[in-house]
Amino acid sequence: MDTLLGQGRAAIDLICDPQTFNENTVGAKTFDDPDFGPGAVVGTAKLEGETVTVIASDADAFNEKFPVVYAGIIGMEEGYKMAQAVYATLEADKAVAKANKRPIVLIVDTPGNGPGKVEEIFGMNKATGAYQLALAEARLAGHPIVAMVIGRAISGAFLCHGLQADHILSLDSDFGTMIHVMPLTSISRIIKKDMETLEKLAEGNPVFAAGPRFFSKLGGVEEIVTKIEDMHAAVARHVALVRAAKSQSDEATGPVGRGALGAERGGRVVRPEVIKLVEGQFAAVASAYLPGAH
Amino acid sequence: MSKWSTLQDRSFLESNARERAIGIVDEGTFTEFAGPLDRRTSPHLETLGEAVEFDDGIVTGVGKIGKTPVFVISQEGRFIGGSVGEVGGAKMVATLKTAIALADRIAKEFPKAADDEKPVVAISFETGGVRLHEANAGLLAHAEVMDQFQRARGKVPVITLIGSKVGCFGGMGFVAAATDAIVMSEFGRLGLTGPEVIEQEMGKDEFDSADRALVYRTTGGRHKYVMGDCNFIVADTVGAFRAQVAELAKLPVSAFEAMRRIGSAALVEKQLKGVALAAEMQPKDARDVWKHAGNADPVALANVPLDAFKATVKRLAL
Amino acid sequence: MALNTLEFECKCAAPAAAVTAPVHFGVVGSGDLEVLMTPAKAGGAVKVKVVTPVTGFDALWQRVLAAFVESAKLGDVAIEINDNNATPAVVTLRLRQALAEAAA
Repeated sequence: MDTLLGQGRAAIDLICDPQTFNENTVGAKTFDDPDFGPGAVVGTAKLEGETVTVIASDADAFNEKFPVVYAGIIGMEEGYKMAQAVYATLEADKAVAKANKRPIVLIVDTPGNGPGKVEEIFGMNKATGAYQLALAEARLAGHPIVAMVIGRAISGAFLCHGLQADHILSLDSDFGTMIHVMPLTSISRIIKKDMETLEKLAEGNPVFAAGPRFFSKLGGVEEIVTKIEDMHAAVARHVALVRAAKSQSDEATGPVGRGALGAERGGRVVRPEVIKLVEGQFAAVASAYLPGAH
Repeated sequence: MSKWSTLQDRSFLESNARERAIGIVDEGTFTEFAGPLDRRTSPHLETLGEAVEFDDGIVTGVGKIGKTPVFVISQEGRFIGGSVGEVGGAKMVATLKTAIALADRIAKEFPKAADDEKPVVAISFETGGVRLHEANAGLLAHAEVMDQFQRARGKVPVITLIGSKVGCFGGMGFVAAATDAIVMSEFGRLGLTGPEVIEQEMGKDEFDSADRALVYRTTGGRHKYVMGDCNFIVADTVGAFRAQVAELAKLPVSAFEAMRRIGSAALVEKQLKGVALAAEMQPKDARDVWKHAGNADPVALANVPLDAFKATVKRLAL
Repeated sequence: MALNTLEFECKCAAPAAAVTAPVHFGVVGSGDLEVLMTPAKAGGAVKVKVVTPVTGFDALWQRVLAAFVESAKLGDVAIEINDNNATPAVVTLRLRQALAEAAA
């Protein structure tokens, strides 16, 4: 097996403790309708013996009600189903101390959000937004969230399913993993710059090129995993790393943590400068915005 | 730059990002963050030999409406389609962070502060999402903005304004959906997938992206108002948007949870009723849903003046 | 491939009008530009910096700016322009609008 592309279900057993995945149950919630959001796989498994929520995509599923959903696309039902799994996780550990909340493992292989007319009429943007807010809430509540990219992590779908995690791991591009907004060939066409030039520029600037290594340089991926059989240990190790980091600060992981990592790795150095500039400029006028200042 | 008083009657659609930002808050109160004088242009555009802008296409700052500190983020559609890159994304994040920090400080040092003395954030979206020239940084910035929204929950209301030419699509389409309250004009458009991409996916017979009326009735302000995807629909003037923000600025932060579309388990269940309706109806057109909501003549309703629309429209009940 | 940056000075015969505070005008849309004018001690001259993706029109930029500085009788000002393929007519129009903004 040299790729896991399109094999989200198979990856569950490779990442979690084998044969522990109980699909369609998260805490007290069960997902009983097999036709509901078939592109999303949710359930509970064990990781090194610990109970974890698992959320993945099923590339073989086709949503008959919403035919734009196939090949791992996240449609409206899928987005809300994934959100439900996160809220059920929060509910299940409501009484558990922040440091001991169960992890959520995101197995990432999705090419996009549902791109249809019905989706726009009813608001696909809400479904994907709902899932992201749920993940952010769970992350801030203490649940360690680790995303493992095994295939496609494309643009808005990666924002939806991956980029709200505490830590993101990716199989190396040898395994066919793709992390990008668009392939460089499409970017080349749209921004009207030839491929040769773009490829050359990408050597020094990871900001537009496709692939896990470029995202890693930008802090968008914490660690690249170079062997399929290493995924299990890597995800378990990152759960522990995330717990330790979160016990110190809720800004050490997740999108904010990846911002700092991007600067540290030299890929996104402007971001912290701009944030510092803005904070300084507000600090200079802040007294006028305190109650009673008017 | 037009004078503040003349800005109030100006078309929000025709105004630029800075005019919208200045006009939303009280006269003379706008302080810009990372503005043109700071010359924080995108280094990535420069590398590619693309034109740069001193504010990187996003105007950020703070002003007041009455006693309320109003943090403003305003995207400029005329600069590379309002796309979000590293600098512009960082400006959005920093403005949100600053607003949350002020709210935390007020909560700590001024526990008796009145509701209208606590900050709000207003974001005028005009964007197709990620800037392809710096796509990876733009994508990461989207995730960071979303994270700040969740951190702002219960502390600082975030109000979306959409009434610009470009509309609000791509990743910013779900970023906007995740805010507390959404104000649109009928010229505003909100969605995820832009019309050209839907046409490409489904074929021209299903969706003709050149059909302006079709595009507006699928993602435009009136449709979003029927669907409950925007909370308020206002006239296309800077002053009308400002008046709505001023109304909202007085409210306690707790009042905003009830305006949300998404952001809780209960709201997901509510939205799923809409999804079930979509599956059952398989609407060919937004007008089918207007009819289902109780609007007998959706074509006429789409064409009446805005006041008449607001007075007679039936909104979808889920 | 990097952007083209032009820097030069213009001086009119009798500089009079002065920019007393920074003024910004315009949006870098397609075929458009933004102008930032700031007070600058330059012995009565106007310091110009143009950043543009277009190459090969250096002399034209100098001519357009010199004509504007002469007609506006500008001195001791720095003019910075971010351009995206604006025509000379648009350049002159935006410069005039920026100056009107400064006077407002």
